[in-house]
Amino acid sequence: MTSILASVSTRFDSAMGSTGDVLVSLKGVTKAFGPTQANSDVSLDIARGDVLGLVGGNGAGKSTLMRILCGVTTPDAGALEFAGTALSFDRYSAAEAQANGIRMVHQELSLCVNLTVAENFFLEAPEAARFLPGWRNIYKMRARAALDAVFPDNHIAVDREVRLLPIGERQMVEIARAVATPGVRLIILDEPTSSLGLERSRQLRTYVHDHAAKGLSFIFISHKLFEIVDVASRIAVLRNGKLVWNGETRNTAVPDLVRMMGGEAAILPQAARSKTNLGSDAALVRIAGDVVSLLGHEIELREGEIVGLAGLEGSGQKELLHQIFAPKRSNAARIDRKGLAGFVSGDRLREGVFPLWSVLSNIGLGRIARQSMFHLLSHDSEQAAVLPAAERLRLDSERLKSGILDLSGGNQQKALVARALVAETPIILLDDPTRGVDVAAKRDFYTLTAEIARAGRLVVWHSTEDIEFLECDRVLVFANGRIVRELCGEAISEQAIVDASFTPAATLAVDSGRVRAKRNGAWTRRAADAAPFISLALVLAVMMVSNPKIASVFGLDLLLWSAMPVVLVAIAQMFVVGGSEIDLGIGAFVGLINVVSATLLFDSPGLGILALAGGLIAYGALGALIQLRRIPAIVVTLGASFIWSGIAYTLQPTPGGSSPEWLTALITWSIPGVPTSLVIILLVAIAAFGLDRTPLGVTLRAFGANPVAMARAGWSAAKYAALRYLIGAVFGILAGLSLTAINTASDYNSGGSYTLLSVAAVVMGGCSLIGGLVSPFGVVAGAVTLALIGALLGMLNASSDYNAAVQGVLLLTILAVRAAVAGRSEDA
Amino acid sequence: MNPISLPVLFEWARRNRWIWSLVGVLLLWALLSLLTSQFSLNSLSGVAVSSSFLALVALGQTVVVTTGRGNIDLSIASVMTLSAYVALIVIGGQDSRLPLGLAAILALGLVVGAVNAVLVLAVRIPAIIATLATGYVLATATLLANRAIPGFAIAPALRVVAAGRVGGFPIMAILAIVAVGVAAIVLNRTAYGRTLSAVGQNVRAARLAGVRTIRVEAGAFLASSVLAAFTGLLLGAYVGGAFLEMGQPFLLQSLGAVVLGGTLIFGGSATAFGTLFGSVLLILIVTTMQIAGLPPGTQDMVQGIVIIAVLALAGGVAVRRRGARASSPSR
Repeated sequence: MTSILASVSTRFDSAMGSTGDVLVSLKGVTKAFGPTQANSDVSLDIARGDVLGLVGGNGAGKSTLMRILCGVTTPDAGALEFAGTALSFDRYSAAEAQANGIRMVHQELSLCVNLTVAENFFLEAPEAARFLPGWRNIYKMRARAALDAVFPDNHIAVDREVRLLPIGERQMVEIARAVATPGVRLIILDEPTSSLGLERSRQLRTYVHDHAAKGLSFIFISHKLFEIVDVASRIAVLRNGKLVWNGETRNTAVPDLVRMMGGEAAILPQAARSKTNLGSDAALVRIAGDVVSLLGHEIELREGEIVGLAGLEGSGQKELLHQIFAPKRSNAARIDRKGLAGFVSGDRLREGVFPLWSVLSNIGLGRIARQSMFHLLSHDSEQAAVLPAAERLRLDSERLKSGILDLSGGNQQKALVARALVAETPIILLDDPTRGVDVAAKRDFYTLTAEIARAGRLVVWHSTEDIEFLECDRVLVFANGRIVRELCGEAISEQAIVDASFTPAATLAVDSGRVRAKRNGAWTRRAADAAPFISLALVLAVMMVSNPKIASVFGLDLLLWSAMPVVLVAIAQMFVVGGSEIDLGIGAFVGLINVVSATLLFDSPGLGILALAGGLIAYGALGALIQLRRIPAIVVTLGASFIWSGIAYTLQPTPGGSSPEWLTALITWSIPGVPTSLVIILLVAIAAFGLDRTPLGVTLRAFGANPVAMARAGWSAAKYAALRYLIGAVFGILAGLSLTAINTASDYNSGGSYTLLSVAAVVMGGCSLIGGLVSPFGVVAGAVTLALIGALLGMLNASSDYNAAVQGVLLLTILAVRAAVAGRSEDA
Repeated sequence: MNPISLPVLFEWARRNRWIWSLVGVLLLWALLSLLTSQFSLNSLSGVAVSSSFLALVALGQTVVVTTGRGNIDLSIASVMTLSAYVALIVIGGQDSRLPLGLAAILALGLVVGAVNAVLVLAVRIPAIIATLATGYVLATATLLANRAIPGFAIAPALRVVAAGRVGGFPIMAILAIVAVGVAAIVLNRTAYGRTLSAVGQNVRAARLAGVRTIRVEAGAFLASSVLAAFTGLLLGAYVGGAFLEMGQPFLLQSLGAVVLGGTLIFGGSATAFGTLFGSVLLILIVTTMQIAGLPPGTQDMVQGIVIIAVLALAGGVAVRRRGARASSPSR
């Protein structure tokens, strides 16, 4: 790393001046999303040692430009030069950008939160990892050095899991990871200080400043303009996708920047609208609570009004909008609402369209949604209800029959508005409705919104484009989760909104609340981590008290042998669940292995080993198939369970067979004074723990937690899915062998109950069904506990009939408790 | 053939996916009639009865699968078995106690469905785990019921419904066809069916459009359990009693019928007729294997392979269709 910096700095020395040694040059970059011009003809040079401050209002096109530079998005037109060599955008990719030393710190963090800080450094640069104990040390050192270099005195433990770090520290890790990447030449920091305190922000700027002097280049994007002015050597201002200013920092100042971002004149002329009906009408929504505390009075929204919710992204506008849609009591905002509310989201794909349906059905749902369940539908009446709304929106009635996804973004948006209209709710909520919609359609949309309001409805409008608030009668400006300004009528201007958005609000109260919540969260988590061990100790204690013989070496040994297969199956399931899937076939697979090892492996070892190998391969292939064809693992593994048990039944329809001698020998050794089974169970736990700690185990966990980030970083999902199921199969085979060794016989039905037991043990052991969380020792403890419950019931003279019920209820109870705990820490 | 009509035909088949299972049924039937003389009218009515039982449970599974997000009801097998036992205990072979028995079966289905719904929707446990666990609890109840049954007497009226014929046509098949017809109307022609499809395609969008998503999903779990309970009752009457694990084969087969019938495994699109034809196809496959003299183990294997193969061929079609347009503009 130091050598790279040195070589960069010598190059820098040889070519002084910011224009002489251009590292990256973007020329005439133009990108449209559908009809929206995200970037138009943007040309930018970044020289070695430059710190370019990139500023612009919401939706100005900063992120698109940076994504183009990172190879994530391909522009429609434009050229790219890297260190004087022209690169074709057609072949430019994220991988090539990385190879050229470009790294981006994303606004939405791309860390795997279930891994440690050092392991996240591994994911970014896996080349140095080895399959040896201690491989982490390389990354620990790298992480330590990088963190200390950027943020002196940070005290972030590099072997701590990222999920346990507060958001600010996560951001620090993300930044340090990017700058520490070997060979990096240009670092793009997108809102790097949004969660950092003043001191950390200053440290970062110092680092940027120092390393720019050594020849590293930076692009610094921030809403905090004083930071930009402080750190940047040059500043570029974007507005509506166009570069409006580009020059040396010393030639500008914060007020100038704000003015250039906001723009003096509206690009879209405001609709001529008579604001006649203000103040006189009935209040439909009343907002009270913490959210208006800075304003000092409650807010009432009335029918006939268009009310804008403005502010920097993530300042609480969206939350308020959802609160109005579905008021909840336990929140900072208290909402009183009269009448139902319709919701139109600009995130059409995730929150708007029903992709399998026609436009007509998509609109019609607005009416159907609130009808009684068994209300009969007729095509004619649906058409009759939808047509007027469609006409009002100038939506071509010819197109009502086409699929919703065949429409342009603007027309899809019209359909969604039509859906809200046919629902005939007095309130309509708009969540950034014009995202990705072309200018003409926007114009239409504004006129329409005005019409809707004039017809006596209340429109509440959240937008990420400040210029749209000119269409509103009233604008509530948010900062840090509170409303800081209420602008009415003539007072609404982009300038006023931008000014108010930058209001430094009292953040301290919010932060201390978060810290308290974090501490509570840590407590419940620790209790949850200890739960499997505590319950194991409890069950054991009860058993020993009621039958002292169990406390002997022999008694314990006997008891633990019965737990052995459960432990192994649970470990197999644990690795599958780690990838957020569930294997419903593992029990049947164990039964098959039991049969194979007691028949084939006994009669002709060669054939037996071949069969076991075949099972392994089949399992791996199943994993790859699930990933490649994107089919649900549950159904596939359930189908596979019939294959496994079918084969087992064919091999041996009735119980029988015998255990190979060498297999029996494996479990009949003993160390005096120690139960053999305990030793083996511990060995299994250690092996699983060790496997989980290898680079492979870490990668699998990373896939379980954040597959999107993994794919972005170039990891193969299918390969690791196959590996995951292979590991599951290995432990499944061991479980089957242990069954054979212990029972010295086989039964194709023997594995049946293990599927549920394994899932229960995994959940009990503290793994999350969502994936990514793996805790081998907890799972082993959980498995032993579950296995002992059967024995315990027997001792308590309860019929073995109750086994299944007790296990089922136990699993549900654990899940319910976990859900409750998770829910509570989320609320806090 | 008119050159334009071919793409139109394909488009129609894409929208009406149940056609593939019907084609499969007809092909296999034709093949069997040609190849073997053993495939008589008699075995055909056997196929009809078996597929009727399967279709009834599979209809419930269809509704649960359609709620999307990988929801599956794994408790149906246990519900069926327990229901057969409860019927034996409550009805005791007397027609006079039939109303009481029907009420008990209905209650069983409603209670299990409600428990599943609460676990999935309120406690937020994934449907597979929740229904797997309730299935286990019910398995214990079945073991207890097994000791309590007074005998294997079946109420005559029930026996008629389950095994009787009208003009040579099994009453069970009529029942199944009526149920499929009703389900088709509910799925395609009622507000419930429409909102169910909406929830399965995009639950967030459905909620924001005003759909009471919890009610819709809870309805699906209730329907599935109630259908499984009544199928269990009738199956018990048909086989003349009840035995442990009697519902077990229906777990995979119900999913198989759903998948073969063209209901999307990722939810959002259901076809009742597809499920019917899927059931018939699956039973035909099993019958073929029986006629061919394949051992039971092989029959299980083939069923597993067929379902995995159909899924792998259909793939995440719906998912990709949605994902294809996922590149929304940046901010």
